[in-house]
Amino acid sequence: MNMRSRIVSILLTLLLPLSVLGQDEQVLAPVTRTYAITNVNIVQAPGRKIDMGTIIIKDGLIRAVGKGIAIPADAIVVKADSMYAYAGFIDGLTRAGVNKPKEENRDRVKDPGNPTPERAGITPWNDVRFSLNPSDKGLEEIRNLGFTTAQVVPYGNLFPGQAAVILSGGKGADDMVLIGKSSLYSELTGANNVYPATLLGVMAKWRELYRQAAISKSYEAMYASNRSGLERPVSDRNLEALYPVVDQRMPVIFKSERLLDVNHVLTLKKDLGFSAVLADVKDAWPIINTIKASGAKTFLSIDLPEEVKKDEKKDKKDEGLNAAAKAENEGLEKRKAEAVQQYAAQAAAFQKAGVVFGFSTMSAKTKDIPANLRRMIAAGLTEDAALAALTTNPAQLLGLSDRLGTIDNGKMANLVISDKSYFNEKAKVRYVFVDGVMFKMDVKETKKGDPNAKVDIEGTWSTVTETQQGRADGKLTFKKDGSNYSGKISGGRLPSPIDLTDVSLDGNVLTFKYSMTFGSNTIAVSGEVTVDGDSFKGTVSFGQNRTAPIEGTKDPKN
Amino acid sequence: MKKIQLIYGVIVAAFCLATMNLSAQSPKGKTGVFALTNATVETITKGTIANGTVVITNGKITAVGTNVQVPAGAEVINCNGMKIYPGMIDAGTKVGLLEVGQIPQGSDERESGEIIPQMKALSAVNPNATVIPVTRISGVTTVVTMPEGGLLPGTAALINLHGYTPDQMYAGFEGVVLNFPNTGRRGFGDRRTEDELKKASEKALAQLNDVWEKATQYHKLDSATSGKGVGYYPEMQALVPVIRGERALMVEVDLQKDIQAALKWVKEKRVKKVVFTGVSEGWREAESIAKAGIPVITGPVIAIPNRDYDRYDARYSNAGMMAKAGVKVAIRSGEEGNGNYRNLPYHAGFATAYGMNREEALKAITITPAEILGVSAQYGSIEVGKVANLFVCDGDIFETKTQVSQVFIDGWKIPMQSRQTLLYDEFLKREPGLSKH
Amino acid sequence: MKIMKNITILIAAICISASGFGQVEKGTVLIKNGTVLTVTKGTLANTDVLIKDGKISQIGKSIALPQGAKEIDATGLFVMPGIIDAHSHIALDQINEGTNAITPEVFTGDALNPFQMSIYRALAGGCSMSHALHGSANSIGGQSQTIKHRWGTYDAEALKMEGAPRTIKFALGENPTGHGRRDGVQPQTRMGVEFVIRKAFSEAREYDAKWEAYNKAKAVKGFRGAPPTYSLRLQTLVDILKGNIILHCHSYRADEIQMLLKVTRDFGIKRVVFQHTNEGFKVAPEIAAAGAMASVFADWWQYKLEVYWSTPYNAAILVRNGVVTSINSDSPDLIRHLYHEAGKTQKYGGLSDDETLSLITINPARQLGVEARVGSIETGKDGDIAIFKNHPLSIYGVPQYTIVDGIVRFDREKDAADMRIMVDPRQTVDATLYETGHAHDFCMQDTAGLFESMENENK
Repeated sequence: MNMRSRIVSILLTLLLPLSVLGQDEQVLAPVTRTYAITNVNIVQAPGRKIDMGTIIIKDGLIRAVGKGIAIPADAIVVKADSMYAYAGFIDGLTRAGVNKPKEENRDRVKDPGNPTPERAGITPWNDVRFSLNPSDKGLEEIRNLGFTTAQVVPYGNLFPGQAAVILSGGKGADDMVLIGKSSLYSELTGANNVYPATLLGVMAKWRELYRQAAISKSYEAMYASNRSGLERPVSDRNLEALYPVVDQRMPVIFKSERLLDVNHVLTLKKDLGFSAVLADVKDAWPIINTIKASGAKTFLSIDLPEEVKKDEKKDKKDEGLNAAAKAENEGLEKRKAEAVQQYAAQAAAFQKAGVVFGFSTMSAKTKDIPANLRRMIAAGLTEDAALAALTTNPAQLLGLSDRLGTIDNGKMANLVISDKSYFNEKAKVRYVFVDGVMFKMDVKETKKGDPNAKVDIEGTWSTVTETQQGRADGKLTFKKDGSNYSGKISGGRLPSPIDLTDVSLDGNVLTFKYSMTFGSNTIAVSGEVTVDGDSFKGTVSFGQNRTAPIEGTKDPKN
Repeated sequence: MKKIQLIYGVIVAAFCLATMNLSAQSPKGKTGVFALTNATVETITKGTIANGTVVITNGKITAVGTNVQVPAGAEVINCNGMKIYPGMIDAGTKVGLLEVGQIPQGSDERESGEIIPQMKALSAVNPNATVIPVTRISGVTTVVTMPEGGLLPGTAALINLHGYTPDQMYAGFEGVVLNFPNTGRRGFGDRRTEDELKKASEKALAQLNDVWEKATQYHKLDSATSGKGVGYYPEMQALVPVIRGERALMVEVDLQKDIQAALKWVKEKRVKKVVFTGVSEGWREAESIAKAGIPVITGPVIAIPNRDYDRYDARYSNAGMMAKAGVKVAIRSGEEGNGNYRNLPYHAGFATAYGMNREEALKAITITPAEILGVSAQYGSIEVGKVANLFVCDGDIFETKTQVSQVFIDGWKIPMQSRQTLLYDEFLKREPGLSKH
Repeated sequence: MKIMKNITILIAAICISASGFGQVEKGTVLIKNGTVLTVTKGTLANTDVLIKDGKISQIGKSIALPQGAKEIDATGLFVMPGIIDAHSHIALDQINEGTNAITPEVFTGDALNPFQMSIYRALAGGCSMSHALHGSANSIGGQSQTIKHRWGTYDAEALKMEGAPRTIKFALGENPTGHGRRDGVQPQTRMGVEFVIRKAFSEAREYDAKWEAYNKAKAVKGFRGAPPTYSLRLQTLVDILKGNIILHCHSYRADEIQMLLKVTRDFGIKRVVFQHTNEGFKVAPEIAAAGAMASVFADWWQYKLEVYWSTPYNAAILVRNGVVTSINSDSPDLIRHLYHEAGKTQKYGGLSDDETLSLITINPARQLGVEARVGSIETGKDGDIAIFKNHPLSIYGVPQYTIVDGIVRFDREKDAADMRIMVDPRQTVDATLYETGHAHDFCMQDTAGLFESMENENK
């Protein structure tokens, strides 16, 4: 048991009766694998739509799509009246569903100039399939948004290992895998305090390994043809892992957020001639033509910088400034706003340039993704192009067009169904089908955020945290100070009250955070509850991916 | 054009030879009575005198003008075609505290502790520091030498660059240094987040307020009890003269936000004698600094702007913009670490090239710092009765190629040599050359 | 003729629409009636300079303005070659791969950042190109890139001066030995520095011999055999031994300068430029006799022990002893006023105007192996020009225009306060980076993290 998990358990014994951690919930299998989705607007592919049609799913495949289709007797009927069905979305690059290594690779080594390949971040033989975690919360989060397929990669820097295309749901790790070894993953970042520690060293090491692999591969071929009289080739799993790249059988996918990262990748591609995929690209609009000419495949980041909001507090602060400083600040704010807008317009620019691109969620906050898509559309991306970038384009870029990307007879039953057009601000995802398995979204949640609700949280709340094995009681106290809130948590088995941080109330959604310190270790806890009059319901999250439901009622005021 | 250059080259060469001959003589200074004749005298405060004479008698300037009797027995130095300027004052250096960088034994600039105003720079000035002759033979005769470090790193002192003990060098000004809490990032090594920066500066300000309150209390008790009611408390004892307005507080402050905060703080605390130093974003707050009547010692002028979006010449033009708004501006070289305080006139020159009035710029390295430091009765201009700190050169002292041929400090005729000129003498034509025999 | 023209248009169209990776933009401009400081061919009063398609095509009186070309009235202004800095680290995102004593395989051209404000600010000081050097953390550092200050490009490749010879950075003295001490490896002394360099070259010789033998054997039909292990590190050293890379060596003390002269002589390396070279004046005859060159600071000293015995007369002594000498910056500030830095050699050693201007134009061009292309105003050379109000060696000299390949990249009149190309949308708008700007050793950038961890280790 490592330190961190030990602390999580300590935390639990303090706050909660016992484990909400352990025990997997028992999941019952569906009664049938046949579904009929009826009366639904089917967007089969960008620009191809059937109004009020039916989709029949059987054994994980789409068996019929259209109007007036007979519903099989063994089908569960999903009445998707006036809803919209799309092919399941495909994420070009993410680490959702991948376990993070416990320890970061930063041990101090004896000779920093000559570390082991592992310490240097060179593990191209590694395969993300060894680190898959089907119950990862991140995976569930993107699935809830409609992503049914994702290319996932291991953690690391120079050559963390090989990627896989997985489904966002499945019985177990192997069951989720659609394509193993889909590409080799690389980040052009240095190792901690050992060679190669900087971009300079990384680029050199990249070239050297690639050329060594090419030479060693060709010698192995000679050796295989006639071994007699030849020195035995030395086995090197790092170089061997690069052979498919040298052969152009496997592309290398790079996290290349910044324009300059893209530049570096294209430099390597130009020097060595392998097949490259640029992923999580954020600000490459000025060099679209260069990217296009290079032939590198592209996944744009679905992350966007925050929109510049008018900050009233800041305006107040500006009052003290002289006219020149005010004018300067205005100019700077304007440039910043323009820059933010350019980020939002990147996808539109790629569309205009005729580049086939997909999206990647790697660095995006999941909850922002629908809004980010709407911002991109507002900045000129057409809805069809946005949908293509979520479905047909990534299917094509990943070589999956025969199975995924459209709603057509014979394709895999990966679907997302929303109550309104997906890009509508009020749209909610209601059903997601992954490999023919239905996930139904909790509709109650749709009521949750009511930005116009007026609630008063000031005062003390008695809370109950429910777990499978009992309940824990506690107290939360909130205070309003101007437009800000502060608060404390006490009770459970906490030795003394702890101050809450980042308490905020958005409509009727209350969020708060606090942290608990044990020796030199700190555990961050965050809560999100929906307030309804004098009661609230929600969840608290702590450690990595641990959650528990929490309910509260307001104590009467004295 | 070419001919003029050639002639100029010959003159320069002749001067170099002259300097070499001089330096070959004695490494000791010389005092007595000197008459510098036929010179263009840049008095700074009383205009320019053509064909003038300056008489120095036992450390003081005793006559300045065109119609001056050369005293009998005076050593006459014919300055035909030459200019005489008052010694330049660099009001922000590490002279005498830093001998050589990167090795701890080479440096006495930084004592341990955040609040240590009792640390006196003057006590640690090494009169034999290599930088002293290097600096003075270019005409910089007087400098403020400052400790560095935390919030209140110590007390700075004004020194003349000639003398065999700190006392012989002391030039009549001491000031307590305050590094005003800074919200900016310092250099590429500073990886603190915005939040961390903000918190650090808030913490420092709270600390400063606490110190100030205690010093005020100490001063009150000390006054009420005629010194009998307070114990040994060196930090407070060093601050009391500042509270009482007997000693200046030298507030190092650069960024706009920090300047605003410093102005507010000085006003709130009613600090009596205060000077802002650094002030690289002074142009952003020139009017409010002028309104507050706080003098400024700014520099380096030749430096990179603080912000990516600043105009490239923001710091070149800073001094001029402040002066235009009515701020009293002295220029310091800020050339710490490289031992190049001798470049002070070039900082004033760049300020001039980028918009500062030339006379103002010349004052900014002579009489203005003397006034700010309260020593203008002795230093900063060529006037009868003032200390004989002056130098002779062959042209506009801002110009890069101008050669200084003679320097006087405290009336001492300074040997025109430093380790760096001696190396030139030795190595221009090295013997043995390529082969030993 | 007409066909030719059409082809030209077609090619031009391709250049614009095609990849653009590494494409260089070139312009046409006529500079009228200035005082032209050619540096190599004297000073020409009231003279025009025409740059056509990026090259100086004509120097003379009353040159006609080509149709559609830009004209700059330089009446009363001084026209000089674009200033060249032989030692800089601007436009680089990373400078030191200091983890190993020997890293010739790395290349600063991989870490160029065309958005750094330092590029524009260098232009605003008349500096049209620089040598983006690897740092000095290790004895054999990285290959370095000669760049042109093509401010405005989004393409890092386009900063590279096309056709410039390869260069590499070596480093002697305190910086590499300091790293050795930190990591507990060689070198920790100047003896060790010599040894690691000799060892590297010796291994490179062996490596080269192995590959030569292999390639020779391979040429014979039916050859069967194992290739030697490929090493980009040793291969780069072989390229130095073969004379394909100019060696630029960070050095301060006289003894280490002589040491490297002996090492390079022993290994037959001809093209050597010493960087910093603060004690070059002590061994000027030796440097001159070896045909090596020197790139120096005007007046920096005192910042560490190995510069303690410096003198600002260094450049003049080197020049008088026949060494091709340049004045460099090693600083994002000094690069903005190299004309002033060079001017100090007139105070310290009385160099003539042309000798002084050579220190920042034709001489650094020689040191970078690009003297046929840049460094003076001559027909056929690149259209890299700086135009000053007042003589550039005067303290009152103020650059007005800087032209690179015939494109005006800096125009003082059109300078807006905010010249950033890219804006970080996540940064607070008034973010500041306050530096006094003088007392840094930029050569050691990127190694801060290493020192940090060392401090932690020592605790």
